[in-house]
Amino acid sequence: MLMCKDLAGIASDYIDGELSTGQNLSVKFHLMMCGDCRTFIGNLRMSTKLMQAHSGSVPNEEFIREIDRRVHEALEQKKSRTTDSD
Amino acid sequence: MDTSQATGSEEELIEKLKEQDPASYHLAVRTYSPGMLAVARFYLDPSTAEEVVQDCWVTVIDAINKFEGRSGLKTWLHRIVSNRCKNKLRSAKREVSTDFQEQLDPDLADRFNASGRWQTPPKLRFEETAESLLENGALSDCLDKHLSKLPETQRSALMLYEAHQHKSEDVCNILDVKPSNLRVLLHRARQKIFLMVEHFQETGEC
Ligand SMILES: [Zn+2]
Repeated sequence: MLMCKDLAGIASDYIDGELSTGQNLSVKFHLMMCGDCRTFIGNLRMSTKLMQAHSGSVPNEEFIREIDRRVHEALEQKKSRTTDSD
Repeated sequence: MDTSQATGSEEELIEKLKEQDPASYHLAVRTYSPGMLAVARFYLDPSTAEEVVQDCWVTVIDAINKFEGRSGLKTWLHRIVSNRCKNKLRSAKREVSTDFQEQLDPDLADRFNASGRWQTPPKLRFEETAESLLENGALSDCLDKHLSKLPETQRSALMLYEAHQHKSEDVCNILDVKPSNLRVLLHRARQKIFLMVEHFQETGEC
């Protein structure tokens, strides 16, 4: 029988729909009987959603600006090279 | 095999990039660099990862002409970054360190008794949506702090999984990890975030 600890180990697969049909059924069955695990799954789902909602931001402006600078430099170089060869 | 094909507006962007249009590069750099950095940080330390992404963009200017749109632009860019990182690792003879063994975070494993039942069950339920929870700036800062403490491989795997709309196959191809290993990285990262959010909700402290 699936214990709470086993369920916690595969909870992320359950959320993503990556479990086999059999495993999926035993999780569903366990959740019917176990309120603690229902809360756990709900909270794990919520923290996944938090991650999604939060992950838009990330790298700093300085880093992006540096790439912009180098790309534009490279584009300029290419342009002057092609006009030279014309 | 790629599941993501280049989409309409993406095709236009690719054409513009081939024409070396500066404004389109500006847009593409802003759009795709965060994901590219996540790929690089899977393999490398933060500052080397930034260098690699910068170098990649310069090579994209030439390489884009050979891009045929069989995969999405994002997947293609991510693969360029991962190849460059792997070359770099090969020359430095370093290995990507990944802890793939354990399914459960030790702090979470401690909360079960010997028979595998909850000893310290999760108490709180979240009634609000993720967006309204995040309006609390302190929670947002706390997420940042804990994300930065995750092992790079876990954080990157999680970010890329989200960035590629949960298409495990694409992420595994880019990072060159087995699906089962990707699953473990995702498990571990999510458990850490879960523990952090729970602690924050209970105590109001990060
Ligand atoms: Zn249970």
